[in-house]
Amino acid sequence: MADYDRRSGGDRGGYNSRKRRYRDDDDYDRRGPRRRFDAPPHVRIRRLLLSIAENPMRAWHEEIASIANLFTENWDDELLRGNFVDLVLQLSLEQPLKTPFLAAVVLVANTNRPEIVDMLLAKLTAGIEAKIGAGEWRDVKLYLKLLACLQSCLEGDGVFPVLEELFSRAVDLQTASSEDTIGTELVKIILLTLPYVMAASPEQWAQKAMDLMEKTDIIASEPHALQTLVEPYHTETSEDNANPSQSLIKLLQTQLQIEANNGWPLSFLPRPWEFPLGEVEQQAKLNDALKHALPPIALPQTVVAGPRPLFPEVYFSVYASQEVESVPSESTAAASLIRDALTDTISILHVNRNVTARHLIEVDCFFAPRTFAARATPFDRLRDIEPPKSTWKPEDVAVDAVFSQLFQLPNAEHKLVYYHSVLTEACKLAPAAIAPSLGRAIRYLYRNIQRLDLELENRFLDWFSHHLSNFGFTWKWTEWVDDVYLPDLHPCKAFIKGAIDKEIRLSFAQRIKNTLPEPYKDLIGPEMELETPDFKFANDDTPFAAEGREIAALVKGKASDEDIQPIIERIHALALDNNLDPLVASTDVFVTAVLHVGSKSLSHVLAAIERTKDRLTDAGAASESARAQIISAVMAYWGSHPGVAIAIVEKLLNYSILVPAAVINWALVTYAGATKGDALARAHIYELVFNTVMKVTGRVRQVALKAAQPDVVTESDTKDAETRSMRELFRAIEDALVSWASGNKDEMIEMEIGDGEGKSQREALVRRWGERWLRVYRRRAAIEEAFLLEASKKAAASTGAANGDAETIS
Amino acid sequence: MASQRSTVDRLDKPSAYFNSRNKRRGGGRDRRDEDDDVNMHQEQPEDDPLKDATTLYVGNLSFYTTEEQVYELFSKCGEIKRLIMGLDRFTKTPCGFCFVEYYTHQDALDCMKYIGGTKLDERIIRTDLDPGFEEGRQYGRGKSGGQVRDEYREDFDEGRGGLGRQIQQEARLREVERRDNESDFGRLR
Repeated sequence: MADYDRRSGGDRGGYNSRKRRYRDDDDYDRRGPRRRFDAPPHVRIRRLLLSIAENPMRAWHEEIASIANLFTENWDDELLRGNFVDLVLQLSLEQPLKTPFLAAVVLVANTNRPEIVDMLLAKLTAGIEAKIGAGEWRDVKLYLKLLACLQSCLEGDGVFPVLEELFSRAVDLQTASSEDTIGTELVKIILLTLPYVMAASPEQWAQKAMDLMEKTDIIASEPHALQTLVEPYHTETSEDNANPSQSLIKLLQTQLQIEANNGWPLSFLPRPWEFPLGEVEQQAKLNDALKHALPPIALPQTVVAGPRPLFPEVYFSVYASQEVESVPSESTAAASLIRDALTDTISILHVNRNVTARHLIEVDCFFAPRTFAARATPFDRLRDIEPPKSTWKPEDVAVDAVFSQLFQLPNAEHKLVYYHSVLTEACKLAPAAIAPSLGRAIRYLYRNIQRLDLELENRFLDWFSHHLSNFGFTWKWTEWVDDVYLPDLHPCKAFIKGAIDKEIRLSFAQRIKNTLPEPYKDLIGPEMELETPDFKFANDDTPFAAEGREIAALVKGKASDEDIQPIIERIHALALDNNLDPLVASTDVFVTAVLHVGSKSLSHVLAAIERTKDRLTDAGAASESARAQIISAVMAYWGSHPGVAIAIVEKLLNYSILVPAAVINWALVTYAGATKGDALARAHIYELVFNTVMKVTGRVRQVALKAAQPDVVTESDTKDAETRSMRELFRAIEDALVSWASGNKDEMIEMEIGDGEGKSQREALVRRWGERWLRVYRRRAAIEEAFLLEASKKAAASTGAANGDAETIS
Repeated sequence: MASQRSTVDRLDKPSAYFNSRNKRRGGGRDRRDEDDDVNMHQEQPEDDPLKDATTLYVGNLSFYTTEEQVYELFSKCGEIKRLIMGLDRFTKTPCGFCFVEYYTHQDALDCMKYIGGTKLDERIIRTDLDPGFEEGRQYGRGKSGGQVRDEYREDFDEGRGGLGRQIQQEARLREVERRDNESDFGRLR
């Protein structure tokens, strides 16, 4: 699996071989001489193709000519021929930055062995057909990119008929439904393919390109019905200059129009098939090489959305509007095309984040020379760069691409932690270059935190704290020091508190305290430094102190339920005497006692819950206020360590001691009410609600997918029940949040804190939190409905197909 | 194309450690075969004990890293079904490893890809796919109760009890011997 390339200092891209030191010695003895000098051609070709364009010291044309020649010289090697075609196709899907270079090898090989192009085209067109059939749109795009780079060796109009055919499909889909996303995706693919066609011979295809773009304009310039769903910014309603992000295809259309007006310079695209003036002969051979007919590509009757749900995309950048352009501006095609190649690389190479990080850091190897400023140029030095030299910082471009994926709405393609790990690796590989870029990204996001969608803010929070945990928790906290004095409801303060909490969870309070400047230290109270919280019933002043201690002792001693019952009854009697809700009182005492017994670790508390499961379940079923009290007790006991509290609630949900609706109700009504809306600004409350909702939606999706399988009938009842309770949950969230967002909450009306101005300021902050929360959950509800719709369509299609099959058989 | 080997190494493969142990037991595959030039297609043995693995062995933890910290980090790849801390066989205190069990195989693979080799509690941790926890495996197999690697370690690792325990033991013995010698010497005088 490891490639044979030992040049890179034995970097296997893996960390996971425990005995690496010894193994590497083995490797050396075993394969060193043999591989290096006697490797058969197909192995050498594989090695060369895999690392194509990675070495910046090697001239492209030399590298490409040498690979192509090695290949054609060994043409008789049958294994090599077959492997070559397969490998070119595979690489174009797995390492898309290398596609133009692979195409160049094919073009040069075409001058000696034109048969290779026919072999490749046969498999490539079959591949495109298959990918279209399966709705694997990214792969379609990547294959088309390879094809586009081969345009100069194609007969007739080459790729254009394919693009036109795709466009006519897009038109059909878009006219059929305004919410269609496949048509949008097709237009995106067309627009992203076109530049690679134009890079080779702009004059020849200018007219064709113009005709095509006139058509795509109709779809591209129309704002998509679902675009608000993916908008990363959530500007306040009062803001007049709320300018939404640009849709990707609209941006592309405009950018390519500018390129077209200038005669398609596309100065950033690599043209590795161009030979320097000294090699006129080779260039002439290339120009006169045989042209090949493109086998027809048949489109299926109906195109499908494929395994990944499609949404319109917007262009997101954390380096927007800087004094010096460190990334391509939105008006240049480079912005979209480099971004596209990088995001594909990131999405595809999730199997090895080290390779992803390396490609990102070496992005300048894969684009035209002088596209970027020198690597690791400090941002402050960019302004000294004289035009027309580029000020684009390769690190900024790379980091920007990762953030665009981490912050993709409605969902990122991979688990968010993947993007964390890519940034970590990039930072490890080139700390001096990447770390300052990350710093500027963090500052941008922090500055814009009030406008950022709340879900994205929380992704930012999670990444930030996780990233710091990989780099010794160092951050220039001093620059935000003034914000420590802001009210807790202020988004910046809320972020700071949330980040510190998450840092502590990955480390411990004392350690984090030592990394913070003085004013921040007050945010970490002495109770947060305790390993286990105080047991409130240890203090005799607490009501039911004696009962609490007794129950704790009994639970600890694994006493039977009958032994506990009399004490519970005593609490009930005492509570009634004091005009308290007896069930709430006994639930609080019992749950707190269980938590205390299990305070040593999560395993301990889980064991304690396991032992007392029946009583806890009964408590949860007894009354709504008792249910809420279970959560209150957990959140209060672990109040200084919210991470533990959230984990416990999650387990209580698993045990069905709690139901999701109870958690939502507790957070958004009970607790938010008790704190007069402050709860909405606490990151761990957001996390609690978000996790609960994701648990429910995850379950519904699982059941829906199962029910969609034709042979499963029994599942449909469960599916309906699960779907119904999910919708009820979203409705409950909506109801609770609408009243916070509109200021109709009783607690807000009754608010008696501060004078008139302070009060209205506070009220405005709470309302804003309500709006931000509301936007997140409305979006989540919409996505789940879209998913269910799609799943039912698929189910109908598959049963239809199954029936159809049955008919043809009978 | 699915059977074609990837153009980059995957991080969600079992480590050399697992493979070598497995080989010694007579099953599993040989890495050398896998690397062979002609063998372009990956061969998965039919009875791969890891093909549905949901458990990970996590190594190189600090002795002071808590369950909650592990939980916080590893939850980023999916809900954790079970977490078992590795303990010193004699003292029953954490000895620097644990088992994390997820609900799905995919979560375990993602954890290999995204968390293995990153830091927890400021140490680079190691993850390895594991066929599943069995009672007894939570204890260190080293002579003095901890993990074998902590017996003869020559570097001073503060998070893992300093020098290797055997080395510490030898140093203690030498010290005692020296003191005995000294007192003997004194008596002779």
